[in-house]
Amino acid sequence: MSGKPLFVLVSSGEHEKLHIAAMLASVAAVSDRPVEVFVSMNAIFAFAKDIEPRQRYKGGAFSKLLLERRAPDTLQLLQQGRELGQLKIHACSMALDLLGWTVDNLVTDLFDGDLGLTRFLSDAEAGDLVTF
Amino acid sequence: MMAERRKIDARGAFCPGPLMEMIATLKLSQVGDEIEVWSSDKGSSKDIPEWVAKVGHELVSNEERDGYWSIVVKKLK
Repeated sequence: MSGKPLFVLVSSGEHEKLHIAAMLASVAAVSDRPVEVFVSMNAIFAFAKDIEPRQRYKGGAFSKLLLERRAPDTLQLLQQGRELGQLKIHACSMALDLLGWTVDNLVTDLFDGDLGLTRFLSDAEAGDLVTF
Repeated sequence: MMAERRKIDARGAFCPGPLMEMIATLKLSQVGDEIEVWSSDKGSSKDIPEWVAKVGHELVSNEERDGYWSIVVKKLK
């Protein structure tokens, strides 16, 4: 039986916040909770196609530790959540519009498409919403 | 078909890496199979049993060895 849906709004470009959001989303998804992730604002840059991890992630002391040690990669965690659980990821349509980007500018096979905030907020009434 | 025991050496990986590796293996296993995870991550030695209890599999054992934990999980569904 599925648990209460979890909605995760990620707007920070800070690696540490992206990483804990990815941990939360992926573990919830493999624990029988449907999860929807909405990526907006500075967070969208971490999902740009064809960049190296050291360019992708901007952060402080913990970001350095995550990259130096064998911590799972942030985007890979989200990918695992998609493969092993019920996890969907949406790019904020406003953020894409402002950048002049489409979903094709983002890493492949991770996003379920773009979505407006109104729809995300409406869907989130069915569950818990957390923001990073 | 005989139940199998699969082993995952996730030593050196941090949370939630060992859990995710175990779940990926569990998905490919048959009901009754056992997965033995070796993890040097202390958090995973607590998180894996929590996950097992939540989703309804069986924790067969959770032993601390020389610098790592051996966690055995049986697939029940």
